[in-house]
Amino acid sequence: MIAAREMPETKKSRQGALHELKRHKILYLMCIPGLIILIMFCYVPFAGIWMAFTDFNVVDGIFGSKFVGLDNFKYFFTSSMGWKVTYNTLVINFFGIVLGIIFPITIAILLNEIRGKAFKKLTQSMMFFPYFISWVVVGAIIYGIFSTDVGVANGILAWFGIEPIRWYSEPKYWKEIIILANVWKWSGYNSIIYLAAMSNFDGSLYEAAKVDGANRLQQIMRLTVPMLKPTVIVLTLLSVGRIFYGDFGMIYGIVGNNPVLIDEVTVIDTYVYQSMRTLGFSYSTAIGLFQSVMGLILITLANSVAKKVNDGEGLF
Amino acid sequence: MHANGRLQDRLVSGFAYAFITLFALLCLYPLLLTLSVSFSSEQAIARSGYSIFPQDFSLDTYRYIFVNSGDRIARSYVVTIVVTIAGTLGALLLTSMVAYAISIKKLRYRNVIAFICNFTIIFSAGLIPWYIVSVNYYGLKNSMLALIVPSIFNVWNMFLLRTYFAHISPSLYEAAEVDGANHFTIYWRIALPLSKTALLTVGLMYALQYWNDWWHALIFINDRDLFPLQYFLYNILSNVNAISSGRIPSGASGSITLPAETVKMAVTIITIGPILFLYPFVQKYFVKGIMTGAVKE
Repeated sequence: MIAAREMPETKKSRQGALHELKRHKILYLMCIPGLIILIMFCYVPFAGIWMAFTDFNVVDGIFGSKFVGLDNFKYFFTSSMGWKVTYNTLVINFFGIVLGIIFPITIAILLNEIRGKAFKKLTQSMMFFPYFISWVVVGAIIYGIFSTDVGVANGILAWFGIEPIRWYSEPKYWKEIIILANVWKWSGYNSIIYLAAMSNFDGSLYEAAKVDGANRLQQIMRLTVPMLKPTVIVLTLLSVGRIFYGDFGMIYGIVGNNPVLIDEVTVIDTYVYQSMRTLGFSYSTAIGLFQSVMGLILITLANSVAKKVNDGEGLF
Repeated sequence: MHANGRLQDRLVSGFAYAFITLFALLCLYPLLLTLSVSFSSEQAIARSGYSIFPQDFSLDTYRYIFVNSGDRIARSYVVTIVVTIAGTLGALLLTSMVAYAISIKKLRYRNVIAFICNFTIIFSAGLIPWYIVSVNYYGLKNSMLALIVPSIFNVWNMFLLRTYFAHISPSLYEAAEVDGANHFTIYWRIALPLSKTALLTVGLMYALQYWNDWWHALIFINDRDLFPLQYFLYNILSNVNAISSGRIPSGASGSITLPAETVKMAVTIITIGPILFLYPFVQKYFVKGIMTGAVKE
């Protein structure tokens, strides 16, 4: 899809191509180091995809190992773990997307209603803080909140006279905790995107609405929200295109390798990493390939939807 | 009607202040909690749990960490600083060169180059092939390069920089070209100096990425001497028990409680360190970057 749009006019003579390379030699040379990195770390590994269809062993190498067809994929989809990690990935991402739209938009709209400049500046930088820390630090914070003996959460429960909960040995809470941590970390950041969109809105529309007697709430519901729609659509499509990709850092940073919790929240990415050690390279390559292919299909679909609703403008 | 409208306006504004205040506090609260615990005494924490105000204010935890693992933290700090500086400078150079080249409209194959970059976003071989190639062919196991090179070219950042470069008037370049300057000279002498803010923005984004990275260490590094800070913290957190059974500082009696809770929080503060002091001053550049990225050319 992008190929069709971005490839240059073809069928120029070979000499033309050589001539072009020579004429802009320095510009092309400047691209080489960056492209080498991409080739080394993104394109060369494509050869390794073959492992997904073999029973890889180190002695025979990637192309010498026994060909097994789709066995690795079959194993993934017939094992309970295959469906479980796919389900976990989709659920965590789905709620992450929904809350990751509603919450930042609310913040952006409300920030826009606030007149006090200093207050706005201060609160905005406070809300931006979580973006600057790593998932490991978030993990430490979450430990501080949910640790059984000294954590804040159990302190609050005790205040209400409720028995403490052993959070770190109760898997059932952790999808929610991770989803909320994700919203917490990204809301300040994402609200900036919506504020950017809102700063481009036509002020005269609001003036006209005021003249017509519309109050703030009506202006928000009738003007701001509808005008944010294109931005919301683009951002949603981008995240839907990546819905099969879990956030490795988020999962591992928060639950680490806690054996009690990991199964409940393990996503495709963390499962690939875990199974690399236990179930071998071929199997985990196959899972990774399943993820990439699903990702490719979805992002392609999302891109064509984006083009339809956005006057031919794709996602990238 | 009018009075009613004004009342509603005031309600909206009141709600806005309340909501924003609450969420802003919620965003900073964990930091204050972590700070306060790290300055509390372990006994007080064991007695009454975490609290936002330091209890029995003490520097014991930091002293304990300094005595026990000061060397290790110092080494991790050095690793992180070297990786962050080298990575950021290298990444800025590589990224800006490609961004500059494909911002020149005369370059016929710039769309081919853009496609090569874009494709890596939409399809990848996955972790395992990437890992095998990196370890077996590029020798990145237990090498500091493993923390720098794989993330030295970020396609999003490249397109962000291209957007900035595309805004520079071509007439500035043309004058230099007439004077016989080649494109590298123009890039170095004209494009880069004109894009200082953009470079600072993207540079800070790279720096934050390198500072906070522990995933590459998890994948590639076994050698404790090469642990970056965040991975050092990760190990402490996931080996809570290991640290409580660690050596007791010389001269201390056996009855002393090991400051496990406060240690975790103090190490957390130590790893955030510079971000804590820098982020209020640099956040405006991140805002600028996000806004540029959000509004496509």
